[in-house]
Amino acid sequence: MTSLSRRSLLRGSVAAAGLLSLAACRSAAESGDGAAASAGPRRGGTLSLATTIDYTPSLLFAQSANTLVQRLVFNTLTRYDDQLRPQPELATSWQPAADGRSITFKLRDDVLFHDGRKFTADDVIFAVKNLQNPVRSAQLRSTAATVTEFRKNGDHELTLELAHPVSNLFDLFEFMIITDSATVEDAVAGKQLIGTGPFRYGKRTPGSSITFTRNEKYWNPGRPYLDGVEIRVIPQADSLVSSLKTGQSHLSYHVPGKDLAGLKGSGQFQLRPYDTGSGAYYIGVNVSAEQVKDKRVRQAISWAVDRERLVQQALGGYGLPSAAPWPKSSPAYSDANATHYRHDPAKARELLKEAGVSGLTLPFAHSNTPDGTAIAQILQHDLKQVGIETELQPTDSPTMQKQLISQTMPALWTLSHGFAQLHPATLAVSAYPFNEAKNSSHFSSPGYTDIVQRAWKRPDSDSAEAKALYQQVTDTLLDEAFVIDLAIGGQIEVAGTKVHGATLNKFNYLNLDDAYLTV
Amino acid sequence: MRTFLLRRLPSGLLVLLAASFLIFLILRLIPGDPATSLAGPDAGPEAVAAIRARLGLDRPLLGQYLGWLGDLATGRLGPSYAIGGEVADLIGDSLGATVELTLGALLLVILLGLPLGVLGATVRRGPVAVAVRALTTTVLAIPPFVTGVVLVLVFAVTLGLLPAGGHESILDQPDLGVQYLLLPALCLALPSAAILGRYLKDGLERALAEDYVRTATALGISRRRIVLRHALPNALPPAVTVLGLQVGQLLGGAVLVEAIFAWPGLGQLAEQGVLRRDYPVVQDLLLLLVAVYVAVQLVTDLVYTWLDPRIRWE
Amino acid sequence: MTTLAVGLRRRRLLPAGLHTLRGTAGVLLVGVVVLAGLLAPLLTDADPLAQSGLALAGPSGAHPFGTDDLGRDLFSRVLHGIRTDLLISVTAVPVGAVLGCALALLAATSRGADVAVQRVFDLLLAFPGLILALAVTAVLGPGRWPVVIVIALAEIPGFGRQLRAGILVQREREYALAARVGGASRARVLLRHVLPNAVDPLIVQGAIAFSLAVFIEGAMSFLGVGVRPPEPSLGGILSQSMAYLSTHPGYAAAPLLVVTALVLGLTLIAEALNEGIRR
Repeated sequence: MTSLSRRSLLRGSVAAAGLLSLAACRSAAESGDGAAASAGPRRGGTLSLATTIDYTPSLLFAQSANTLVQRLVFNTLTRYDDQLRPQPELATSWQPAADGRSITFKLRDDVLFHDGRKFTADDVIFAVKNLQNPVRSAQLRSTAATVTEFRKNGDHELTLELAHPVSNLFDLFEFMIITDSATVEDAVAGKQLIGTGPFRYGKRTPGSSITFTRNEKYWNPGRPYLDGVEIRVIPQADSLVSSLKTGQSHLSYHVPGKDLAGLKGSGQFQLRPYDTGSGAYYIGVNVSAEQVKDKRVRQAISWAVDRERLVQQALGGYGLPSAAPWPKSSPAYSDANATHYRHDPAKARELLKEAGVSGLTLPFAHSNTPDGTAIAQILQHDLKQVGIETELQPTDSPTMQKQLISQTMPALWTLSHGFAQLHPATLAVSAYPFNEAKNSSHFSSPGYTDIVQRAWKRPDSDSAEAKALYQQVTDTLLDEAFVIDLAIGGQIEVAGTKVHGATLNKFNYLNLDDAYLTV
Repeated sequence: MRTFLLRRLPSGLLVLLAASFLIFLILRLIPGDPATSLAGPDAGPEAVAAIRARLGLDRPLLGQYLGWLGDLATGRLGPSYAIGGEVADLIGDSLGATVELTLGALLLVILLGLPLGVLGATVRRGPVAVAVRALTTTVLAIPPFVTGVVLVLVFAVTLGLLPAGGHESILDQPDLGVQYLLLPALCLALPSAAILGRYLKDGLERALAEDYVRTATALGISRRRIVLRHALPNALPPAVTVLGLQVGQLLGGAVLVEAIFAWPGLGQLAEQGVLRRDYPVVQDLLLLLVAVYVAVQLVTDLVYTWLDPRIRWE
Repeated sequence: MTTLAVGLRRRRLLPAGLHTLRGTAGVLLVGVVVLAGLLAPLLTDADPLAQSGLALAGPSGAHPFGTDDLGRDLFSRVLHGIRTDLLISVTAVPVGAVLGCALALLAATSRGADVAVQRVFDLLLAFPGLILALAVTAVLGPGRWPVVIVIALAEIPGFGRQLRAGILVQREREYALAARVGGASRARVLLRHVLPNAVDPLIVQGAIAFSLAVFIEGAMSFLGVGVRPPEPSLGGILSQSMAYLSTHPGYAAAPLLVVTALVLGLTLIAEALNEGIRR
């Protein structure tokens, strides 16, 4: 009797051992990163990058949750350094007119598209016109739309005429990727991507991975160092973290806040925050809702929330508690703005009393991701302490998006916004929560519109006069409190110790021109 | 057998038709809209309207439904909305991955379930019996997502033996593919193996209590021979029915396991499709799953009939 | 399914089944968990929703199970989470059972109805449950009701198939034939004679159904479509704790222990009842 059981057990284990021994010839599990000796850039290797959100081909020209692909396959005309000063990329030099109504670019003449075609001024003209097309949903469409005329001077010099000066012109050139005009419809359909960038688009398995191979004819000599890049889509955040810990993925910008503290402590990773894209957490208020019409109620909400605790508990300590939308790198940043509202429940209660409001219960929408849910619960608790009850509404992103666009948000919601990392005017003319013409809060005032337009329609972006206008924009935002900023989060780069030289541009486009892997 | 099929097929087709209607309806009831999610976070109304027209979402619902059925009948699945690529390719690729996962899991279910059942029925006392019983009950008492996360933590993060997730086709690279497959398949297989083991144990115990077993024992036939040659064949048919039901469970459970192990199968595709309101992908995919299930039921009944000669083809 | 074959002998042995060691252990496990949930307000005065700056703390006098990532008392959350799960299961399982049984009875009325009902069960089983969960929650908005509906839908075929098979077996037995020969109407035979004899396996199914309900609630929370936050539920606490499994394993320990005890208890009860019926 027992001989039988042993035997069948044995058979089972032989089969299992067979599988395992098959597995033993090559290991799919990478050994963890040791302390790698860095000896300067090294050619070769494939960088594996993990993201929770798959790339959406139709949003190629818009700022969306996954913009890792853009700068791998494409280039932009210029790129910002840390102080928002444009540096040459496909444009070698530029000359703005004194009145700010035109700008002349000189372009590189040694650039080839991946299909072998030469890059010329016509490609820039196409790129601007493409962004002017409303179907592309480009956030910088308003800026692109100021370009009224194109004057070519040969194949590699181009003058753009503007309807009026704009202070955020170079935000457009940081944002605008140069695509091949013949295949642009294929690109937004997800069939192929042809650009001038360091990597060629390889194979995409939707929901799983995208691979890229080195562009052997890249205009930047000796670059890129890497042979290839693989973007792995891992929707479950916990699994993404495991993938980093096992060394299966080298790099990620999508680690949830609460996991960051644990990764930092392990010594296995380098963490680096960027003042970029969708990184500012905020409470949006629909001012057309009766209970929050009074701005004192909205201000009370801003006093009621404990921004420090939010950063500690939901963002893993990575973030700057701030009542204003600007990161420290912005010309509009000031400590006074950031700390304009502090955690002061007594003051909040006082304001509510002044406004004659009591027994408030407000619907409160939030993203149904673990991070979004944690943030919403923290805020709910803080608001309850000053007597504002909220009913949480976990909402998935398509529903949220529809409500945002169609301006049907509930009285309160919490999400994150981008665009504060650029020239301040971009925030108010491009980002939906702040847009003076039409925003999800239903907020409008002639005063706000006037300041925003004045801050935008000017040739310079960091004179004292410009900064004074930015301060007026900030003052309005803080006083009206239709968008209540909580914390500036930015993107956190989590890189294994093998990875060097990866950077993000201001729109979260991943730049791997100078990236390399050490052994 | 032909009459058997003839009797079952029409009702199967009716199930598919009803399913198609339900799927279509439920998707339209979900708030949010493919056009707004495609248009992007800061899109204007012109962009949304243009996309709506391009996708044919401005047509009346009935027209959209009939149009879908028509496309299905002619075998045109068309492009996906948001995920990118052709629906047929998307489903084809993820179907391959899910079949791989399900077959891997099924193999493990049998490999683990058979010995568990036989051991459970034949070893009544001692540490082996306790271990078998403890294993079959605790595996069923722990939520599958916990099992998955723990497996990753132990075998991938701590021991570094197997990858934490991802997929490599077992056909293209068998040696790597197996390693990617092992953990998710095991996570999926454990509860089903415990259930199979338990049913098999019940069946064997009942068979071993029958008179012929006593006769055979009296005749001096070895216990092993009795179990393998006489009791097991009698206990197998109901176990196969259970296995058939478990295939459905495996397909359903794949959603969770695929999420934990980043396995690019049907479950992931369906989840992504629902989350991004990619109507064509979700519609075609869910209908396919219903069809597969109906087919599996049919096959199970056929196998059952074949294994158990007492049931005749009617 | 096969256990029905064993439900043949019509003897009520429910208590007898539960008197075995296994049955007692099961009742004890489930009893402790259920009581802990029912008595939650008496066992702890900590508010399960109150947050603090003390996040992810280990067990202490003030917080017997420690605190969660938002500084809430885990002991209180787990106890109140049990209540949530109980409330959901106690609503959803009977609804699923009644619907499933009604369909099975309908199936017994005619051959056509039987085929139709079987296909309905097929349809319910064929839909991947979690995709259905995503869809139902998306339509109704998150909260308890979608969870209840998804669980009830998932329970229908289990009960229905079980009862249908039981009826098929019982209907052919002598007493049923005798009743029919004696002139009793079809419906009367079905309801008065066949049904009472076919319900035994359903009680086993009931125990299994409750454990399934706990799992479905957990899986839905894991996919982000569970009960409305900040309300605690066992699955919700457990899935939130997964992110901290390597850094703060204590966070997952308490909810996991409770879920395992509950499901294990229910399984033991089901097994004991099953054996009771068989004996």
